[in-house]
Amino acid sequence: MRWFWIDRFTEFVSGKSAAAIKCVSQSEEVVDEYAPGRTYLPASVIIEGMAQTGGLLVGQMSDFKARIVLAKITSSKFYCEAYPGDILNYRVEIQSQDGIGTMVNGTSQLNGKPHGEINLMFAALDDERFTKVELFEPSQFCRMLRLLRLFEVGVNQDGSPIAVPRHMVEAEKAYLSIG
Amino acid sequence: MRFSQLDRITALELGKSISAVKCLSLSEEYLQDHFPRFPVMPGVLMLESMFQASMWLVRATGKFQKSTVVLREGKSLKFQGFVQPGDSLVVHCEIKSVEGSITNLKVSGEINGKSATGGRIIVDAFNLADRQGVDPAIDEYMKHKFRMTFKRLCNQLDTQDLAALAINPLLAVAH
Amino acid sequence: MPINEEVFDKVKEALVDALGVDDDEVTEEATMVGDLGAESIDFLDIVFKLEQSFGISIPREDLFPDDILTNAQYISDGKVTAVGLEKLKARMPFADLSRFERNPLVQDFGNILTVKDLCNYVITKTS
Repeated sequence: MRWFWIDRFTEFVSGKSAAAIKCVSQSEEVVDEYAPGRTYLPASVIIEGMAQTGGLLVGQMSDFKARIVLAKITSSKFYCEAYPGDILNYRVEIQSQDGIGTMVNGTSQLNGKPHGEINLMFAALDDERFTKVELFEPSQFCRMLRLLRLFEVGVNQDGSPIAVPRHMVEAEKAYLSIG
Repeated sequence: MRFSQLDRITALELGKSISAVKCLSLSEEYLQDHFPRFPVMPGVLMLESMFQASMWLVRATGKFQKSTVVLREGKSLKFQGFVQPGDSLVVHCEIKSVEGSITNLKVSGEINGKSATGGRIIVDAFNLADRQGVDPAIDEYMKHKFRMTFKRLCNQLDTQDLAALAINPLLAVAH
Repeated sequence: MPINEEVFDKVKEALVDALGVDDDEVTEEATMVGDLGAESIDFLDIVFKLEQSFGISIPREDLFPDDILTNAQYISDGKVTAVGLEKLKARMPFADLSRFERNPLVQDFGNILTVKDLCNYVITKTS
């Protein structure tokens, strides 16, 4: 099982909102056997899908330099299950922010109908306790963002496209120059 | 169940509470993505462990008469400790109230006795034939499979415990 | 002096929601950190819920006078100085600082706010 809980971004406005889609497939490891007989996508990984959408929205505000992690699921509610063959549309918005965390709220739609709502809190790892911790290697992180098509749909609030951050471009170049 | 986020049930009191353990191994494939340089159990999987323990408590309390138990709500769930490979997350869930098909639980998780997560969840238990009008045979198959998985997870509870918990009669039919 | 019941109920609702505690755990005397388990990450949530519920705006430094507590001018040997204490009292007239004053360790400040203090604060903001 890999840890990608969205398939791609469909919208991304820096510091404001993002939308992503997730297709549910019978062949996913978490779906298979989760509820044998009538398999569905576990709510926890639906929360993770919205957390990835929101977490990258928060991370982009620091050009993906801050080490953003999910600190709290303030609330989450689901009206029904998502079965194989269904398409989930996640939409998240930044709600409020202080020096410690960022609150994000979001909704999930299933085949165009309301499916769930959520409120999450993200925090950046502090330098005191996590001095040497790095979450991603920058070129690998960049590749993941490209995989999710973030830079293909991402815009700044003035409508201009979000550029790949310089430190990531350099890390990519360094990676490609090896061997 | 391949998405099992529990290894053992260690204590169970029908209608009241359950304790269970999840050990995190570096061989979990998803750790290469979460995160490549800092492998830790994602918070939502800590939630999944607490949900699954709650699910077993609700299933066993209801004598495995409901095929489906889903997570309806998760509230004020905090993640204040990282579960790293080699750590065991010990979860504890307690029923606070029951209203029809809905059970309200207080859940928590700790690593080496230190609080790592906790909050509230609401689960919903039902049969698909009643809610979605499907063939009741589907519910029967699901109940059977869940009883078998439950039996495996309860291996660590000794026979006396199981008898005292009145779980044996529930398991006897699972072969 | 008994606190306004309507305010207390709304504050309680915000705390139960944000902290996942039981209704009966939220008493007037309960401390936010020690008794109710609030952590720094929860305060953003609590502040947001109170702002929504009461239609007020809560500047962070009203409840978390970090600027005073990290200012060398007001701290000596890990304790808040007399001048610092006056500053804190002026900033937080709604809070009962008498217990903290006896041994004003900076590290203990985080645990002085009680549910009652929070209610009093909201009342000053709404009246």
